[in-house]
Amino acid sequence: MWFKKSNILTFTILVILLFISMRITEFDLSKFRDFRNMIDFLGQWFPMDFTQLPGMVQDALETLAMAFLGSFLGLLIALPLSFLAARNTAPFPAIYQFTRVSLSFVRSMPEIVIGLILLTTLGLGPFPAVIAIMFHNVGVFGKLISELIEAADPGPQEAMKAVGARTWVAHLFSILPQIWPNVLSQYFYRFEVAIRTSLILGFIGGGGIGQRLFTDFRTFQYSSVSLDVLVIMVMVILVDSLGSFIRNRVI
Amino acid sequence: MIEIKDMSVHFKDTNIKALSEINLTLDRGEFVCVLGKSGAGKSTFIRTINGLQKPTTGTIFMDGVPISTMKEEEMRKVRREMGMIFQHFNLIPRLSVLQNVLTGTFGYRSSFKNLIGWFSSEEIANAKRVLGDVGLLDMAERRVETLSGGQKQRVGIARALLQQPRILLGDEPVASLDPGTSNHTFNILKEIHERLGLLTIINVHDIELAKRYATRILAFQNGELIYDGTAEDFNEQQYMNTYGSEFQRSTFSR
Repeated sequence: MWFKKSNILTFTILVILLFISMRITEFDLSKFRDFRNMIDFLGQWFPMDFTQLPGMVQDALETLAMAFLGSFLGLLIALPLSFLAARNTAPFPAIYQFTRVSLSFVRSMPEIVIGLILLTTLGLGPFPAVIAIMFHNVGVFGKLISELIEAADPGPQEAMKAVGARTWVAHLFSILPQIWPNVLSQYFYRFEVAIRTSLILGFIGGGGIGQRLFTDFRTFQYSSVSLDVLVIMVMVILVDSLGSFIRNRVI
Repeated sequence: MIEIKDMSVHFKDTNIKALSEINLTLDRGEFVCVLGKSGAGKSTFIRTINGLQKPTTGTIFMDGVPISTMKEEEMRKVRREMGMIFQHFNLIPRLSVLQNVLTGTFGYRSSFKNLIGWFSSEEIANAKRVLGDVGLLDMAERRVETLSGGQKQRVGIARALLQQPRILLGDEPVASLDPGTSNHTFNILKEIHERLGLLTIINVHDIELAKRYATRILAFQNGELIYDGTAEDFNEQQYMNTYGSEFQRSTFSR
């Protein structure tokens, strides 16, 4: 079953690609013989220094606010756009093509680049980070939701057309209830991703706990770094469980 | 009420003549059953009447007004007067029975009212009244996907009724229901048809149902109208012409 000519070829190509990639990335497990350095380093992380905890929690809340605002505004803007970017609901094929291409352009710009560009006009702080996250998420939600729309059952759409509803009303009411649970589940995943993104944006001065982590790292405050990491992990787990709770309530 | 002149429907992409040269007049009070093999053009015929399918040539008139050449916005207003029920019910999933029935008012309401989803107490009372007509009032708050097939179709009928239609169209409404439920559904349709004095046009595969309920039968074969007459006159020969020789004789020998 597996042993076919075409599979041997695929296998050979994969092995070659693996080797080339290891060469390029200097992938060498024997380098781990110096792992004692890492243990020494991690040893400096403990015991944790709890004196900064109130400030960290405040920064974590700022990160949550950035991630929530960025992803939610992204969803709000993307929702109407995705109806234009879906083949079955776009008013004209040209609009469908245009929206598709625009969304993919928006998506292809990394958040950190948008953040760096916005720094020049908005200065340091969480605001440019929120805009950067929002911008990217418009592209991502637009793609995901328009694909959900295209996969929706056409029956109810036809029924809404048959009752004499305007086309866009028919689309909205026949499709949105169908795709809603999937939209929510995509949203919570993107919210989680936005938290990680806002950490990275913190490194370029975007505020939040990401910036604090970066600062603690550069000033060798390792006993604070360990608590930063713990706070981040707790935050991500909380958001994840909130997401599954709400999703279960909706479905 | 409905007049069809020289109507043909030609599907360009598959090069199939779905309907050719149909000429018909359908009047208020008629309960029309449309027969024919799958692909004979029944479904296309029903869908051209409310404009879900545009005729390639020819014209459809409603009360003397040509409707098949109308623009979408005008056609929308014509559709409000035509209720339609479907084989797969085409209800909106995850919404309640009452919410689904209320969508029958969408053609009459402003887009803004539809968008915010606000319904007047009168609209809700009307929706409950039609739900009572189909015997589903006690299920108003249930989600539609928890209903049985027959109940779903009754929700579909209630939605069509809330449009206050003059014409009722059915695209194989009982094809996914068991015989008992099909009968029950047809009883409801017939009762509504007579009470409101509608023109009812329904596609059906079951010849017994057609003969029992229809006042007029239309039969299609390869897009051509091969029978147009009363249910009584639709005999074994007509049946053979419509469905081919592989049919069961039992329907007529009983």
